[in-house]
Amino acid sequence: MLTAERDKLFALLGNADERGATAFVLDLFEDGTPPEDLLLDLVAPVQVKVGDFWATNRWSVAQEHAATHISERVVAALSARTPVSPTRGHVVVSCMDGEWHALAARLVAEVLRLRGWRTTFLGASVPAAHLVSYLHQEGPDAVALSCALPVRLPHAHRMVETCQRTGVPVLVGGSGFGPGGRWARVLGAAGWAPGAREAAELLERRWPPEEPPRAQLDHLVDDEYPTLVKRREELIEIALAALREEFPAMANYAERQVEATIEDLGHLADFLAAAVYVQDSLLFTDFLAWMTAILDARHMPPTSLIVPMRAYWQALYDFPRARGHLEAGLSLAQS
Amino acid sequence: MTETTASTTPRTDTAPRRHELLAGSGEAVVLCDRHGTVLAVDGRVELLPDTGPGAMIGARPDTGTLRWRRHDLPDGRHLWYVRDVAEETERTDALLAERARSGFLASASRRLGLSLHPARTARAVVDLAVPKLGDTAMVLAPPSAGRVSWWRSDASGWVQQTRLPEPVVDAMAGLRTHCSPWVVEELTEAGWLWPAEQRPVSALVISLPGNGNPAGVLVLTRSAEFTDEDLALIEEFCSRAGIALAGAALYADQVRTASTLQRSLLPAPLPYVEGMSFGAAYRASREALRIGGDFYEVLPLSDGTALFALGDVCGKGVEAAVLTGEVRQSLRALSRLERDPLRLLALINETMLDGKAMPDRRFVTMVLGHAAPAADGGLELTLAVGGHLPPLLLRGDASVEPVDLRGTLIGVFPDARFAGGVVRLNPGETCVLYSDGVTEAKGSRGMFGERRLADALTGCAVMPAGAVAERVELLTTEWLGGRDHDDIAVLALRADPTC
Repeated sequence: MLTAERDKLFALLGNADERGATAFVLDLFEDGTPPEDLLLDLVAPVQVKVGDFWATNRWSVAQEHAATHISERVVAALSARTPVSPTRGHVVVSCMDGEWHALAARLVAEVLRLRGWRTTFLGASVPAAHLVSYLHQEGPDAVALSCALPVRLPHAHRMVETCQRTGVPVLVGGSGFGPGGRWARVLGAAGWAPGAREAAELLERRWPPEEPPRAQLDHLVDDEYPTLVKRREELIEIALAALREEFPAMANYAERQVEATIEDLGHLADFLAAAVYVQDSLLFTDFLAWMTAILDARHMPPTSLIVPMRAYWQALYDFPRARGHLEAGLSLAQS
Repeated sequence: MTETTASTTPRTDTAPRRHELLAGSGEAVVLCDRHGTVLAVDGRVELLPDTGPGAMIGARPDTGTLRWRRHDLPDGRHLWYVRDVAEETERTDALLAERARSGFLASASRRLGLSLHPARTARAVVDLAVPKLGDTAMVLAPPSAGRVSWWRSDASGWVQQTRLPEPVVDAMAGLRTHCSPWVVEELTEAGWLWPAEQRPVSALVISLPGNGNPAGVLVLTRSAEFTDEDLALIEEFCSRAGIALAGAALYADQVRTASTLQRSLLPAPLPYVEGMSFGAAYRASREALRIGGDFYEVLPLSDGTALFALGDVCGKGVEAAVLTGEVRQSLRALSRLERDPLRLLALINETMLDGKAMPDRRFVTMVLGHAAPAADGGLELTLAVGGHLPPLLLRGDASVEPVDLRGTLIGVFPDARFAGGVVRLNPGETCVLYSDGVTEAKGSRGMFGERRLADALTGCAVMPAGAVAERVELLTTEWLGGRDHDDIAVLALRADPTC
């Protein structure tokens, strides 16, 4: 796929031009570009760029949202043009509850469909109860779960277990499972694939798996995770107080700014809890690196991360594992 | 006193009687002289019926299941302690077998409890049965429309009901057939058994007990005879398998019924109307059910205009969903007679009051609108509101403007007064209708509220209608952070001259 085509699609998305974007991609299809290439080498990378533009504050959240919506419509339009009679088994593709980044999962569903699987795409943020009743109803050969954010891993673990209890083996994917899918194994998923093509190959060659790996979560017996979840609001209060002390100017913050700060502190607490869940500091430090980049783009100093981390560290004096992750985070943020 | 009693008791009563001292030990004790000649036998003498005083015992006298242990006495005589280990071995074997049986049954129960899907459950029954219960296993489901589905470990398929061998027909009717040579014959004749060289010695056709009727039939074959213990274990297994299959069949049946009804109550796909575009989001409070008391509807009219509505009936779950079905049906039918939103609301109010029993306190709130494309690519919206949250207009200058209309509840008062008005959307502007599940969503910092909603929509006029609706759903669910919520519905209508 040429850079020119990616730039063209990106520009159309930037103008929220749904009709133009759809026509552009369908024309490429008519001219003979294989649909799988259009999905994975055009739509997917352009969407990554959309995310970058939002994260670096070059696009508003509304622009990003409009662009993502149009990408979805483009995929749907291409799907309508490329019917395939299923020759393989049935795969259910679903985003977990609270998981709104549906495009990557939709691309997986589309690629599997194009390769002859009967696929059902349940969409973004699928409630667990709905997914389970669907699995009982359909008894598919596999369920593919997507998780884009590692902060959702504790939830992902419950979903993987719940699906496995219906007897359906679980394939997971998405950047939420970390580099090389390291947290997919920790959670005991039967398979992990970094992308749509790899997912298709895994299902074609090595499915169903002999014996799904056991979850490696023995460290959870120390109760640090549930206690962190329970104390979330309290931790946010503590960090907010510390920030107010450090930055007296916060007294003049508008209510909206305070809410945004509370939200950021909540993310910090949630990622810490997720790192405690899978017992891997990398989860926390990755988040901090990303957050620092965002703050940098918004011309905010990393101190606004260091102060709350110190406050959490002090408050969590009897949480050795959480403290370990905070120490890793602090040494990164101070470097 | 005690001493006196003791001294008067005859001594002979305190002395042990013959074989008494070692009666409970489970061992026989044999006293021999230095040559091996038996002098006396005591204890469990029945173990050694042919060994009395005078008999000879060799150096290593082990015989059969008797174990002999020698104890030398100082004067050259010796004792033999004799024990029968047959019972012990038997007891251990029985214990191990029982453990294996209950272990197998426990793991079978676990595995069978996993799935509520009939085919998966049948597959699990087959997988569990081989090789523990038979060399091959096959499960047959009860006939449906003249066909019988079957599962083996290597394949699955179906046969015509009329082509079932007689033992299977009997088992399917709940008449249990046990193993006998003729079952093998008959299954072979019917072409159900495998190539002649692998021909099994015995086969078993057994019905799997269900709810009233058998939940299916299990066919087992084996190269050895089935023993009574095997049959007892198979019977236990079959009762578990039957329960699991019957449960899965019942669940599948109810799901089929429910999803048929559910489909009729799910929001219909949004239609295409020239000059406008619609987007919607829906999230039921009982999420597995996917239907609830909120609803939206878009009805394209023959003159190129459209009616659109979003509402909320009191209550949640199935009962509420059924009422939304009635309201949507009334709306569809009445829209053929009346297009003015205010008059249409009044008609719906009357319809609801007419069909109502007195103690029925059900009511509906709704925003109903009529959208007509204008020459400049904008839309003229005629709105009527009955007790519902006011719609929001996303203006081209990025502001968010509520339409201040309230009106009374629908379906309660014969003389209800609904609020009506006309607003204009310029090209690219959007009107958002939503239910109180959005603004009353309870997060860790209270309700989501109308102000946060308005803030969230500020600057969103550039977004397609579908993205606006998704955004409201996303923010509401994020606010909830996994907490329970009421039904959530959003309908966005955008003046879209390019569409």
